[in-house]
Amino acid sequence: MSPTTSVSSIRRSVALVWRSLRSMRTALVLLLLVGLGAVVGSLVPQVGVADARIAQIFRDHPLRARIYDQLGLFDVYGSWWFTILYSLLLVSLVACILPRTRALVRNLLARPAPARDLASMRHYAEVAVGIPPDRAIAHARRVLRRKRFRVSRPNGATALAADKGLAREAGSLVFHWAFLLLLVGVVWGKGTGFSGQAVIVEGETWTEAHASYDGQIREGRFFGEDHSGVQVHVEDFQATYRPTGQPADFVTRATLLDEQGGVLQPVEIRVNHPAEADGVRFYQFGYGWAPVIRVEHDGEPIFDGPVVCQQGDAPEGVSPLQVPWRCVVKLPSLRPQIGIRFELWPDSRGLLSLLETGRAMPMLVAYAPVMTWEAYEGDLRAELVQSVSALDTSAMRKIGSGALGAGETVDLGRGVRVSFRELRQYTVLTVARDRGMWIVLVAAILILLGLLPALYGSRRRVWVSAEAEGPGTVVKVGGFALQRGSRFEEEFSRLVRDLGAVLREGSRDARERVGA
Amino acid sequence: MSGGTWARISTDAFTVAFFAYLAAMVAAFHHLAFRRRVVWAVSVALTAGGLAAHLVSVVARGLAAGRVPLGNMYEYSLVLSLLVVAAYLVVVEGLARIRTLGGFVLAFAVLTMAVAALFLEVGPGPLVPALNSYWRQVHVGSMIVSSSLLALGGIVTMLYLVKERSERRRAASPRPILGGAVDLEALPPHFEASAGEPVPTRWGGVLPSAAVLDRLAYRLIAFGFPIWTFGIITGAIWAESAWGRYWGWDPKETWSFVTWVIFAGYLHARATSGWAGRRAAVIALVGFVSLLITYYAVNLWIVGLHSYAT
Repeated sequence: MSPTTSVSSIRRSVALVWRSLRSMRTALVLLLLVGLGAVVGSLVPQVGVADARIAQIFRDHPLRARIYDQLGLFDVYGSWWFTILYSLLLVSLVACILPRTRALVRNLLARPAPARDLASMRHYAEVAVGIPPDRAIAHARRVLRRKRFRVSRPNGATALAADKGLAREAGSLVFHWAFLLLLVGVVWGKGTGFSGQAVIVEGETWTEAHASYDGQIREGRFFGEDHSGVQVHVEDFQATYRPTGQPADFVTRATLLDEQGGVLQPVEIRVNHPAEADGVRFYQFGYGWAPVIRVEHDGEPIFDGPVVCQQGDAPEGVSPLQVPWRCVVKLPSLRPQIGIRFELWPDSRGLLSLLETGRAMPMLVAYAPVMTWEAYEGDLRAELVQSVSALDTSAMRKIGSGALGAGETVDLGRGVRVSFRELRQYTVLTVARDRGMWIVLVAAILILLGLLPALYGSRRRVWVSAEAEGPGTVVKVGGFALQRGSRFEEEFSRLVRDLGAVLREGSRDARERVGA
Repeated sequence: MSGGTWARISTDAFTVAFFAYLAAMVAAFHHLAFRRRVVWAVSVALTAGGLAAHLVSVVARGLAAGRVPLGNMYEYSLVLSLLVVAAYLVVVEGLARIRTLGGFVLAFAVLTMAVAALFLEVGPGPLVPALNSYWRQVHVGSMIVSSSLLALGGIVTMLYLVKERSERRRAASPRPILGGAVDLEALPPHFEASAGEPVPTRWGGVLPSAAVLDRLAYRLIAFGFPIWTFGIITGAIWAESAWGRYWGWDPKETWSFVTWVIFAGYLHARATSGWAGRRAAVIALVGFVSLLITYYAVNLWIVGLHSYAT
């Protein structure tokens, strides 16, 4: 085989692939496959949405989990096959709309093309009038223009070609291009942005930087490490509840500061009302309790500050507001090391009702808070990766337990004294930056704007010719609609009626002038 | 009046509407079978009466809860069935002047209301903070308007498939010799030969022609689709302010997208040679199923951020 034939055969196969991508059928199948992929994603638990359930599948059905994992079923929307599918859809989309856009532009620039055989058209009518063809055409032109047709008159002919409704095709193209723009906005915005969670205790200041998130952050593929450095100083957090225990509102009152600590603005961040600084947005996400604990060893403070407590798991049928919050204080500097596990009852009436009736009342506000504690000594096994809120007691021994009210101090022995100084709240904010959001919004609006003419518009074409017949003229009108044929029938007859009226009036004027 | 009184009015009006629709549905099917004009008139009158009671039920619910009644699945179902029936009266009976589809539409409304009353009912009350946003009215409102239109389109599509099949069979089978002079279209079903013979007109005969059904289904879907698109967009705007991202593949989001894709596929299929007609209708039917999954299954069986809507 000579190199030229192999080149031309490659070219032929590329042309073939391109042609099949250009076909609407391919685009349609790809579109439905993308939908099918999304369905799979909604049935199989997804990374970042249902991590706990994925872990459970890995525990209970390791083989199935591995197969799923290999196929990317736990992360459908980021999997190789979903990427291939939507990339192919994009290419097919471009292949479909590029020639159509060229054709539309050509069509917009060109004048409506003349036609010959009007009588064989779907809609056809004749009007006989008493004015010369030239004048009749001039009248017809005015009528069509008034009805907002594009009208052209071929050189030297007493005929018109008119069309209307290019907005349909234009709308359809706007819709499809905007769909592409939307995807570009999504990919760029997510790729260059980030989204994380900030845990901030009342009275503390948090700086927007990678390390501040404690790993609770997802950064985009093209993220340039350009965190804003904006600071958030939380004055207080307020959760209000209705008498039924249903949450009514969550508000974080805070001050936003710039990198240098200059005050930007005081804000109230609540659900549905995020705050923004330097393109970074702060959303109310959650909250919790943070007791301020001070530990002294031989009179020297070795720990002093708020401890973030996690909401305990509520058993079936019990509200999370009825269970105590859990937190841990680790004292690695002591020999032997000491770890204390706390269970916080922000409202001590919750604990009392549990002891009295076996059922805790929901704890909505702080009321004489109390913590039960269990202290252990031994090896904290800090060399193992573990969460700050978990205490590994496998190499430890229990040295005591008890209850501790706010403002109280307990002596653990060994010179260690633990004080529960006060109870604060912490707020959890979702912190995110997505610069592509505005592109996505504009694209979405364009999609909607394009959709309306694309669905409801229709392309209509009309031709008029005037021929002298005896003393007068026969005006022939022909036309058809490419869509919504039944509606055009009415429009066409109205057009002919109006045309007839104008022409007859024109010929009456002409007669009167001749008579005068 | 107190919230309790309004709540009772809402429930009573719901019951009235439900039984009016049920009776109207029976009447509509009777009309379909025996073509008695009077029965058709009774059916439409019952539907209109039921619709009025239905409207009272929705308004009273809003007054009882002190907010727009679009806060949970029970209220969505209430409004969805209201809009389906209203759209049927306006579009199918009013504009298209088709008198044979009422029974199917009312069956859908009755089922929706029955599911709402049996499985989804909750007392009127305030909402969790995330739902406290004016986007709720815009997003949920447009989702429900479009759902009702798309559901109606789905029902008409089903009938189209029945009719199209019977028309095809009819074209294929030779006319019965003795029936040559009889217009089979005009005959009620019990006149038909039963066993052994192909029975192309048993159901198909009383329905409007396939072309009419196809056009009607297309119009309903083409009307509903941009509103669905708008609903997804407003939902994304709301999700951004409530959850910190405009799109997160939450099951409800995913399924609304799937439904969007399928109906987009339907609109494209109608413009694709070889796909218009039956194939497109099958796509629309799949879209209808997807719509129901988006509406019910995601809230009832799949855990996600939209779960609070139950």
